[in-house]
Amino acid sequence: MNVLSCSINTFYAISGVEVGQHLYWQIGGFQVHAQVLITSWIVIVILLGSTAIAIRNPQTIPNSSQNFFEYILEFIRDVSKTQIGEEYGPWVPFIGTLFLFIFVSNWSGALLPWKLIQLPEGELAAPTNDINTTVALALLTSLAYFYAGLSKKGLGYFGKYIQPTPILLPINILEDFTKPLSLSFRLFGNILADELVVVVLVSLVPSVVPIPVMFLGLFTSGIQALIFATLAAAYIGESMEGHH
Amino acid sequence: MANVIMASCSKALIPTSKPKSPQFQLSLPKFQTLAPKIPKPQISISPSAVKSLVAAAAAGLALAPPSLAEEMHKAALFDFNLTLPIMMAEFLLLMVALDKVYYTPLGKFMDERDAMIKAKLSEVKDTSSEIKAMEEQMAAIMKAARAEISAALNKMKKETAAEVEQKIAEGRKKVEAELQEALANLERQKAETIKALDSQIAALSDEIVKKVLPI
Repeated sequence: MNVLSCSINTFYAISGVEVGQHLYWQIGGFQVHAQVLITSWIVIVILLGSTAIAIRNPQTIPNSSQNFFEYILEFIRDVSKTQIGEEYGPWVPFIGTLFLFIFVSNWSGALLPWKLIQLPEGELAAPTNDINTTVALALLTSLAYFYAGLSKKGLGYFGKYIQPTPILLPINILEDFTKPLSLSFRLFGNILADELVVVVLVSLVPSVVPIPVMFLGLFTSGIQALIFATLAAAYIGESMEGHH
Repeated sequence: MANVIMASCSKALIPTSKPKSPQFQLSLPKFQTLAPKIPKPQISISPSAVKSLVAAAAAGLALAPPSLAEEMHKAALFDFNLTLPIMMAEFLLLMVALDKVYYTPLGKFMDERDAMIKAKLSEVKDTSSEIKAMEEQMAAIMKAARAEISAALNKMKKETAAEVEQKIAEGRKKVEAELQEALANLERQKAETIKALDSQIAALSDEIVKKVLPI
């Protein structure tokens, strides 16, 4: 075991990458990853602040910032509507917050100069490159689609497990586990891998070469946020649609 | 909705992390199970080099968990702890806050504006019939005005024509009268001269007779 961890540690030391290092805080006997919480608070402040400033006084003819947020809201509504259907209204906040939180988190990891703030242990990065965040979001998505199905159809919702034939029961049950697993690991892996690639490239070739990879990272981040929100909406829509 | 999700998630998640209250319990068992497996094949490959490592591993395992945990802090990618439920709570709070600040107010505003624009558009469609009526009215007025103008024009033409004819007739009458008068004058003068000639003829004939017939 020590061989394994030693080799891993020496690899990290060589490449200068800090992977899986966390700043720990103790809260009532439990541990938390402080750097994740700090960056998530900053993301939340950015989101709430920008929306509150842009929409404090909506105009009939929107100014540019209001127009921007109107565009985002229409985009979120469009995604929800295509995935969930006509009853998408109550789910807009959930889908929208998923998209915005993941998107701003991912981009904050790429754009904000976190390195300027030195922590005693670990480093500030996108909140989404911690498995806790992605699993939390994925579990909330699972709860959301169970809630959506149960509130729409009552206990009849569980009838979908034997659709179209009871033979598929194990696979249908397995799906409830694979959905959050794939959601969380897709996001976690993409963001972590993106940051690692950038850090490793920067440590190898400090100039010019990492720039295209950074742009690719921005692109991936946006795509991942969209994928997470779209899939969450699709799962909710799937559990709400009638099975005939 | 948010309340329901939050209630169910706090029930489901917080108890799972409760029994593992001592630090890094979650990552520790995995490595304990891994530890016996990995050193064993290594011993057969290079006993001298690995022996020290095995000793180190044994020491690491024998020591109190905190020292091992210190090492684990260095690479704990899949380190689940209280961060997870806290992130859930943060996300739900963010959702509620964004709903209050962003989605609901702006969505309502946009819907109201859409409704207003639609209402105005339908209003505009209604006024098109009004415009048609006004156009018809305008055409009618134009027609009436044209008719009036042409009538007035005709009347004027007739009037002027009558006037002209009258004047022509007057002029003709006048000319005729003058002609008559002139003719009458001429006749009278002719008669006068004839009369004068007659008297002279008598005198002349007397003279002629006297001269011709020399008595």
